[in-house]
Amino acid sequence: MNDEYIQLGRVTVSPQAIATIAFNAARQSYGVVGLTSKNLMDGITQVIVKDPTNGIEVKYDGEKISIDLYVIIEYGTRITSVASSVSNTVKFHVEKALGMPVEQVNVHVRGLRVSDMD
Amino acid sequence: MDLKDIEKKPQDQLYPMQKYPIDGQVFKSLVEASLTWLRTNQQTVNSLNVFPVPDGDTGTNMVLTMQAACDEIANSSERNIGKLTHLVAHGALMGARGNSGVILSQLWRGFARALNNFEVLDGQRLVNALHQGRNTAYKGVVRPVEGTILTVAKDIAAEAERSIVYTQDPYDILERIVTAADESVIRTPELLAVLKDAGVVDAGGKGLFFILEGMVRFVKGLPLDVNIAVVQPLSAMKLENAFDSIEPGQDFEVVVDFYPNEELNIPQFYEDLEHIGTSIQIGEGDGIYRMHIHVEADKIYAPIEYTKTLGVVTKAAIENLHSQMEQIEHERGKSIQFTSVEPGQIATVAVAPGAGIARVFASLGVSAIVEGGQTMNPSTQEILNSFENLPTDQIFILPNNKNIILAAQAVTQLTVKHVTVIPSRTVPQGLAAMMRMIASGDPKVIAADMNSVLNDVETGEITTATRSVEIDGVNVLQGQIISMLNGKLVLASDNLKDATLGLLKKAHADHFELITLFYGIDVSRMEVDAIADTIRKKYPKQEIEVQEGGQPHYPFIISIE
Repeated sequence: MNDEYIQLGRVTVSPQAIATIAFNAARQSYGVVGLTSKNLMDGITQVIVKDPTNGIEVKYDGEKISIDLYVIIEYGTRITSVASSVSNTVKFHVEKALGMPVEQVNVHVRGLRVSDMD
Repeated sequence: MDLKDIEKKPQDQLYPMQKYPIDGQVFKSLVEASLTWLRTNQQTVNSLNVFPVPDGDTGTNMVLTMQAACDEIANSSERNIGKLTHLVAHGALMGARGNSGVILSQLWRGFARALNNFEVLDGQRLVNALHQGRNTAYKGVVRPVEGTILTVAKDIAAEAERSIVYTQDPYDILERIVTAADESVIRTPELLAVLKDAGVVDAGGKGLFFILEGMVRFVKGLPLDVNIAVVQPLSAMKLENAFDSIEPGQDFEVVVDFYPNEELNIPQFYEDLEHIGTSIQIGEGDGIYRMHIHVEADKIYAPIEYTKTLGVVTKAAIENLHSQMEQIEHERGKSIQFTSVEPGQIATVAVAPGAGIARVFASLGVSAIVEGGQTMNPSTQEILNSFENLPTDQIFILPNNKNIILAAQAVTQLTVKHVTVIPSRTVPQGLAAMMRMIASGDPKVIAADMNSVLNDVETGEITTATRSVEIDGVNVLQGQIISMLNGKLVLASDNLKDATLGLLKKAHADHFELITLFYGIDVSRMEVDAIADTIRKKYPKQEIEVQEGGQPHYPFIISIE
């Protein structure tokens, strides 16, 4: 999908590859303790996924890349700060690896993990 | 265990404050001291940033987080340490900004939880609280990266646990963990490669160090609002941003590089500089020191004279900040003004490989620009988009590159407008044709006139060979500078100057009148000026013009007419 022309031909980067970059960036981001499947059926417990394509959705409309993250955040952190931090980190790492601008990173907080109650 | 008694300081060596148990109100003063000291050193922490991410200013983020914590306790007269630290943690949580701020708030959260229901903070409780702070902070991340604020928090907790063997005094433990924090921060580049590459220590870790050091400085009665001179690595000096804030009267920026004769007394050096000017920055690398300062107009030589007394000055630069500012604002304001067209008139679209060239075309009257050129050919669609909204149906296109002519001609099939492609193969040809453009008149006649001048101009292009090859009898090695005259390879040389002069010779430039050099983004203005001077000496009868072209890959596009 995301094509770039080089001198000898074309380089194509799949959404899965971008999702993997985003996945690793998200996992290194402070406050994010996991990613969860975007297709949650009602009543099914939230499972932390290992496969990047489950917790991350990459869309490309021919011009712009937008990324949706479905995350679980540590209870007790400030969710807005963690969310803006993870979206910045993901944007930075994807843009650095890809050399293409990322238009949007949407963070969907799907749950909180409680390690300690205050 | 009697070690603690052996290590115990005699009473007369205690700081006056050490006599007080740490209750809520004492701790409040300590936290406020942390904030003041952190704020004093905010820029130092900011300068350590490695990633240019938007929420990047670690120092600022940590200050804002601590500020929120202090606001929370500002009006509290709570004496219970457990309750007070919960307020601190709550404030830090609500005000947490950026990654480092969130981690800091988690450290406070764990710290407070360990002190639940305690009245005062003693040695063992401090150890437990630091331990809890570390644990809570580590829970917030799946893959902790070492060499960050988390590592520093871990080292602090470990040092506290070691200290309790020697002393039960929380003040003494605090002093020990500050030393441990300092050492831990220094080790961060060994653990994290990006820090090592950038030649800096971790910003968040350094911030945490300042927070703890602020407490200890307060206990010792040391000043908190005076920035102690911090020497940064040369690579971390942010001089290009320095003129964002000019203090009134401080109109000149002076930067001096020097080798000190003997080891530099940094605090003394800093203090002396403060008498001369403001915005002081000191950098060090391989024994060379760089000093940066803003001074008043009549003191511009003072920093240099002063530095000469300390060692050997290797380089000094003085710049007028106001003219720098004006120049920057001028550049920013230079947006491109296109010529508007009326229905029935001819609108011209030019393909330009750089901002400077686009500006020149705009000044000659084009109505739209399409970015593109060698290795970045615009698509037919992009060319179409550029003129679809213009209020006329007569369109001329100047492709300005032989590889774009076809794409431009394809546009004629896609639109109901009458499109004429003037097949300019180079930028100088396009400019020559543009000189003949008249907006109102018979398009056929005008197009013919524009076409007729295309070959009146000689085009020189200078670029770097991407592979070794032999064309037109010229042997080229990869990486050499090659000169092309009207698209034909004429010369390969090892430097830009020879390439330019050789090209002009091949073009018989001495038979022409005007030589215009459009310089690209890869070549410095200084180099351009030097080459232009040489050309002026060689071709005294020709007029030489230098224009910023802004094109990539081609240091020079040369028009000879």
